[in-house]
Amino acid sequence: MYSLFRLFVRHGGLLTLLLTQLASFYLMTSQNSPQQEIARLSWSWYANRMLEWRNRWLDYLSLRDENIRLKMENARLHTQLANLRAADLLWRDTLLRPSGPDSAAGKKLLRPEYVLLSARAIGNTFSGRYNWLILNRGAKDGVRPNSGVISRSGVVGVVRSVSEHFALAMSVLHPQTKISAVVKGYPYYGSLYWDENDPRYLALSDIPYHLPVRRGDTVQVSNYSLLFPEGHPIGIVDTAHRLQGSSFLHIRVLPTQSPANVREVYIVINRYADELERLSESIQEER
Amino acid sequence: MRGNWFFPNLWRFLSLLAVQGLVLSDISYNTDGYVSILLYPLFILLLPIQMSVPLVVLAGFFAGITVDAFTGTFGLHASAGAFSGYARALLLERFAPQGGYTGKEPIASPVYFGWQWFLSVAAIFFALHLLWYFSVAYFTPVYFFSKILPQMLLSWISTLPVVVVWVRLFYPRN
Repeated sequence: MYSLFRLFVRHGGLLTLLLTQLASFYLMTSQNSPQQEIARLSWSWYANRMLEWRNRWLDYLSLRDENIRLKMENARLHTQLANLRAADLLWRDTLLRPSGPDSAAGKKLLRPEYVLLSARAIGNTFSGRYNWLILNRGAKDGVRPNSGVISRSGVVGVVRSVSEHFALAMSVLHPQTKISAVVKGYPYYGSLYWDENDPRYLALSDIPYHLPVRRGDTVQVSNYSLLFPEGHPIGIVDTAHRLQGSSFLHIRVLPTQSPANVREVYIVINRYADELERLSESIQEER
Repeated sequence: MRGNWFFPNLWRFLSLLAVQGLVLSDISYNTDGYVSILLYPLFILLLPIQMSVPLVVLAGFFAGITVDAFTGTFGLHASAGAFSGYARALLLERFAPQGGYTGKEPIASPVYFGWQWFLSVAAIFFALHLLWYFSVAYFTPVYFFSKILPQMLLSWISTLPVVVVWVRLFYPRN
């Protein structure tokens, strides 16, 4: 009580001023119509601004959740896209029964081939000869060895081994990574690999030399790839020239997904991987 | 503070109020409120120097509310009066003579401090009062340059001569 009194003695003038101003403003806004109107408008303006700030702040706080939701949705949409590219309809009795992809019969015949799983690269090397990525998804999430890894803009690598929660993938900058690829618009496929020279470029071989491949042409995943969805972009042609004494072109490809800058990725799980492996094992001895 | 301070201030309050309410408010009406001669703050300025700040603020508030009763602008002059009461304390502190105020100068009048001192204090005091008054009258900073500032300057120019005339006439001593 005493300290309150001392406070009043020291700042009494200011306190009295504040109190009298409050009283005056109350009188003004309750008795005078112009001030009343202005106060009402200002109040609603400030209230709206506060509400807006609050909403913006809440939006900001929920960005993380929103991000996860978007990633899941993206994975789902990419899965649909990948499966549509590889749509494998067995057309049967199209004259008698409507069996487009939307009909019940069509859905039974449509075999979705890929499941895409969103993941994040939590480790990445790109300066050595054997380059690896560590992904934050593992066996518990359904990742299997020999699954492709792509990003929104290109290919990233291939999963080699899987632990419970993590997966180890070899980067495209790894001598064992080979991807079946085509130059868009030509029906010949070749093998995309890294020639261990310049980490900025990949190499595409086995494309016949008579194809007029030009700088800027798109390189994408071929329809023979078991790891990556057909048509997914890989890169653009940087240079293409015929090798001496060979009937193939040597194409230098600038990847659309820089191997040095990988963050958000999708792991492509081929639902028929085991089946395909068994199938090829059955003819192993004849090779 | 000597004992005989109350009645001089009361007479001053009543006379200033009468002039303000009966004569000067008409001028304000005739100019559509564009030029307002506000003489009553002189009452606040001429309150005893030794009076405590909260009391001066309250006195300014009640003087303002009385003027409000004349003009039908509830709270406007009350707010400006209370503000001027506080501003007076800061001003007097800033313009204190060397060694501070003594009991020999009961009020801030040219009788004790000379005309130059009084005019500088009064000029700033009335400028602050008018600025506050027009700010709360428009109640929004939107009109600051287009209305508040010009009206405050015009009113200031018209008020100060009236203040000088009044002080010269009555030459208040306490």
